[in-house]
Amino acid sequence: MIQRGLTRRELVRRYGAAAAGVALLGPRALSSVASAQEATPVALPEIPAIPAALKGSGNVVVASWGGAVLDAQLKAYIEPFQEMTGITVTVADGPDPSKVKAMVDTGNVEWDVVQLGRGDVLALDGYWEEMDYSLFDTANLDAALMRPDSFAMVLFAEILAYRTDAFPNAPEGWKDFWDVEAFPGSRTMPAAAQLPFLEGAVIADGVPMDEVYPIDIDRAFASFDRIKPHVVKWWEAGAQPAQMLTDNEVPLAVAFNGRITPVKEAGAPVDIQWNEGLLAEDDWAIVKGAPNRENALKFCAFCTLPAPQARFSMLIPYGFVNSKAAELIPADQLARLPTAPELRPKLFLRDEQWWAENRESVIERWNEWILE
Amino acid sequence: MAALTHDLQGADREGQVARFQHLRRREQWRYVLLLLPAVVFLIAFYGYPVAAMLTRAFYDPVPGLQNFEPLVTARSTVEFLGLSIPMNAYIRVFWITLQIAAVVTIVSLLLGYPVAYALSSVSASRANLLMIFVLIPFWTSILVRSYAWMVLLGKEGIINEALLAAGLRTEPLVLLNTRLAVYLGMIHIMLPFMILPLYAVMRGIDRNLLRAAGNLGAPPSAVFRRIFLPLSLPGVAAGCLLVFILSLGFYITPALLGGQKDVMVSMLIQQQISLLKWGFGAALALVLLILALGIYALFTRVLGVERVFGSART
Repeated sequence: MIQRGLTRRELVRRYGAAAAGVALLGPRALSSVASAQEATPVALPEIPAIPAALKGSGNVVVASWGGAVLDAQLKAYIEPFQEMTGITVTVADGPDPSKVKAMVDTGNVEWDVVQLGRGDVLALDGYWEEMDYSLFDTANLDAALMRPDSFAMVLFAEILAYRTDAFPNAPEGWKDFWDVEAFPGSRTMPAAAQLPFLEGAVIADGVPMDEVYPIDIDRAFASFDRIKPHVVKWWEAGAQPAQMLTDNEVPLAVAFNGRITPVKEAGAPVDIQWNEGLLAEDDWAIVKGAPNRENALKFCAFCTLPAPQARFSMLIPYGFVNSKAAELIPADQLARLPTAPELRPKLFLRDEQWWAENRESVIERWNEWILE
Repeated sequence: MAALTHDLQGADREGQVARFQHLRRREQWRYVLLLLPAVVFLIAFYGYPVAAMLTRAFYDPVPGLQNFEPLVTARSTVEFLGLSIPMNAYIRVFWITLQIAAVVTIVSLLLGYPVAYALSSVSASRANLLMIFVLIPFWTSILVRSYAWMVLLGKEGIINEALLAAGLRTEPLVLLNTRLAVYLGMIHIMLPFMILPLYAVMRGIDRNLLRAAGNLGAPPSAVFRRIFLPLSLPGVAAGCLLVFILSLGFYITPALLGGQKDVMVSMLIQQQISLLKWGFGAALALVLLILALGIYALFTRVLGVERVFGSART
């Protein structure tokens, strides 16, 4: 979900290439976003010897969203996994849930492990192998993240991002985001492909953060009505809001935290307001009938070990799921993760079950509303 | 007696005609055999999968026509020429799509026609050189070109910076995330599809006809209007058809450059597919296909298939 974009596989994969191409043509555009990933060299923690049970042979096909997240996954998980277990990894691109459905329905399963939002896993009920946690480092994992059909492998936040040079005072939360008098300027918010941000809409209308679910849909759309004239773009790919902030296309955006931090660290005058941010998860799930199920489980288990988890969170500021990873991450880097002790209380967890039940009707209404 | 001779002659002629027709049919079958490999390939690897996907509209998730219901359910009404027309998001999106495709086609024609005319009027070697300028953008990724437009049109993009620096504006113009940006991006992509068929037809026009008309005293404007323009119409028809139908399926460009109301049908279809509502996605795709076929039929009926895809006949 973090990376999901326009044509998903195509757009998302080529985003980097396109950005580089544009940087050649134009003055700044996306160059700052593109170079951000190289801005901070990090010394990654070494991975200690792994349990013999994780070793093996053969292959495993991992479908990931590409882009910056895949870059981090390669260094944190995939390269060390190949070296330490003897299992080779083939990376596939763009694990669109509809492709999983097509593969399973036609009995032509090419992928073993896919990265998907929890909501997508729920939507494709019955299309997954059961997760076998016997190989996992269960002692340090949160039992709530260990679902029967998928495993949460990364926690990310959908947060308020703003330009620091646009306002005298930083916006404090969604009420301020909706307040176009105190915070004038255009906005960009997620489109239907990323789930409309109903949560922010009801919070802006006065609902406390911990009482958001079940969402009052009518109230959310009434609240959207007020902000709609000021939203210049309902974005579909995670890179869009970061780029729009950098180019000063908008001073305010709803964005994924992992997209904003690199831009900020590259020197762009943008910052994150963590207050009332939404915490969501991406999962590893094993496709039903996966040809390399055993290796897929070993891969998932390896990724959740403390050192790979720490490496991932150091490469891209998304939260880890193994509590022991915290000991391996330098304090300053720990502080920029949505799961950091100072930040976590500011966020609320997305209710995936609510969305699984309401996604279809919300998006239908959204389609109607957006063209009104 | 006269009648008998006549009958004999008639029978003989009918026999000859029948033999001739038999031979012709055999010859035609030979041509059909030549087509066979391509037809089998298309049916197996294209026709069947597309049909399998589109027929989902009628049985996924349950058999029936319920997938078409949202398309005809009125959510609101729109006043148009004193009539109140039932409206919903899907009809709106189809309407927007047709509108965008029509504008892109017309502007591409207006911009492309003079270019093709110039290309067809210069020497072949010079035309080949100039053709590179048409083809380089054609070979560049659509995504890269859409991003290039974002660089140009942004609030702090090249156009706005230039306008501000020149003192022509005090506030930046809103160019990006508008319908205008969609038109610019799409026309840029579609121009070669207009220029190439126009150029092919114009190259085939015998310039002696123009000279002859001039010799006979026609002023240049009349030569163009009465000789060149009618002869170039097959190219106009082919170019317009190509551009219009390709424009109906646009996806990335409107998504990147457009504003909130610039939703095109393919964006909606993709949304339904990823929501796993394949039946409804198929219904939308089917309607779009029928629309495209209908427009194709209209073109060929009005202009004749020979004229649309045949070469210029002088």
